[in-house]
Amino acid sequence: MRATLAMMQSRLNEQPHLLRLGQLFSETVLLEVDGAEFYLTFRDGHLIQIAEGPSRKTPWRFALRTDADALAQFWQPRPRPGFHDIFGFVKIGRGRIDGDILALVKNLRFFKEFMALGRTAPQKEKVA
Amino acid sequence: MTFEPITGRYLTVTVQGRNQRIYVEMAGEGRPVLCLHTAGADTRQWRHILNDAGLTANHRFFAFDMPWHGKSLPPEGFQTEEYLLTTDAYVETVLAVARTLGLDRPILAGCSMGGRIALQLAALHADRFSGFIAIEASDFQPAWYDIDWFHRPDAHGGEMGAALVSANISPHAPEAERWNTLWMFMQSGPGVFRGDLSFYTRDDSLIARLSRIDTARTPVHLLVGAYDLTCTPEDARRTAAAIPGATCTVMDELGHFPMSEHPAGFRPFFADALARMKVPAHV
Repeated sequence: MRATLAMMQSRLNEQPHLLRLGQLFSETVLLEVDGAEFYLTFRDGHLIQIAEGPSRKTPWRFALRTDADALAQFWQPRPRPGFHDIFGFVKIGRGRIDGDILALVKNLRFFKEFMALGRTAPQKEKVA
Repeated sequence: MTFEPITGRYLTVTVQGRNQRIYVEMAGEGRPVLCLHTAGADTRQWRHILNDAGLTANHRFFAFDMPWHGKSLPPEGFQTEEYLLTTDAYVETVLAVARTLGLDRPILAGCSMGGRIALQLAALHADRFSGFIAIEASDFQPAWYDIDWFHRPDAHGGEMGAALVSANISPHAPEAERWNTLWMFMQSGPGVFRGDLSFYTRDDSLIARLSRIDTARTPVHLLVGAYDLTCTPEDARRTAAAIPGATCTVMDELGHFPMSEHPAGFRPFFADALARMKVPAHV
């Protein structure tokens, strides 16, 4: 998981439009995967730190809690229904979002596109 | 220069005693079909259907922007009002537009809140229509979110609304059409998406009315995308099951805005739905 997050961190720095969208986003987000905690600290749209838990001392603004299989499916080029969006995890009972939800919603496009950076690009569909 | 076949005109209708200037787009010749857009968007969602030569060869499509949406202005005095759509106002608006356009028992095709009101009209005013295509439509959906998020002074409601509804777009949708679809939400007027969601997430009056829909007189067909998190296939199937004689088709690779997000994928399902709307006997 940490390697994937590091890859996403690197990809984020190569996405000028995302850095622009996130320029006012300076928060710590808790990503919990199968109970393992990853504290993602963003500053001005850049992911500046990935810290592994457990930690009871690290403040976070909002949390996305899910499992590794759900994330693996989310990162498929064309995920199955329910695995295609972080809110889908909640809908199908494979995740939970809590904390300051309004902070998430205000930065929703940025955060969802950041999360999707772990996704491999869809293959071009063959023309019959 | 080649224009698209869609033409747009304005008309004024009276709804609940107030004048509403409505923008209407139309295309085609033949049996009339009145099309309703989703919450927080406008008639542009139907652009591919109205530009489809195969469908417009024997159908005359009309799509209009609800008051406060797209190119329809809000009513006089809106600046001090809180926009909250109601079932009564919505029903009256659709009937007034159909009457002013002189439509003789059109097919009514609506998506999301447009599908919800299509089913309300099937229950309450079936004599004014010849069939109902309810897309991404269900009996009732309470909100899992706070609708007040989408109208507040410290954030852009349109951008937040677009980011939220993107959860309902299929990953099979072509990228350009995904973003065309989201753009309409980004452009939505302040408080309009919230006011639409008030109708969609708080008014459960349809549930008790579903059983009175007479599909022997007016067919009802539901279409639902598998990627729709707002109105899931389960929601649409439950709704169809409560309407004796209604049919329902699940569209495996589509989401909540099928005519806009993935026009090629939606077309065969919509053509099939139109074919299910049997021509009414002359009264």
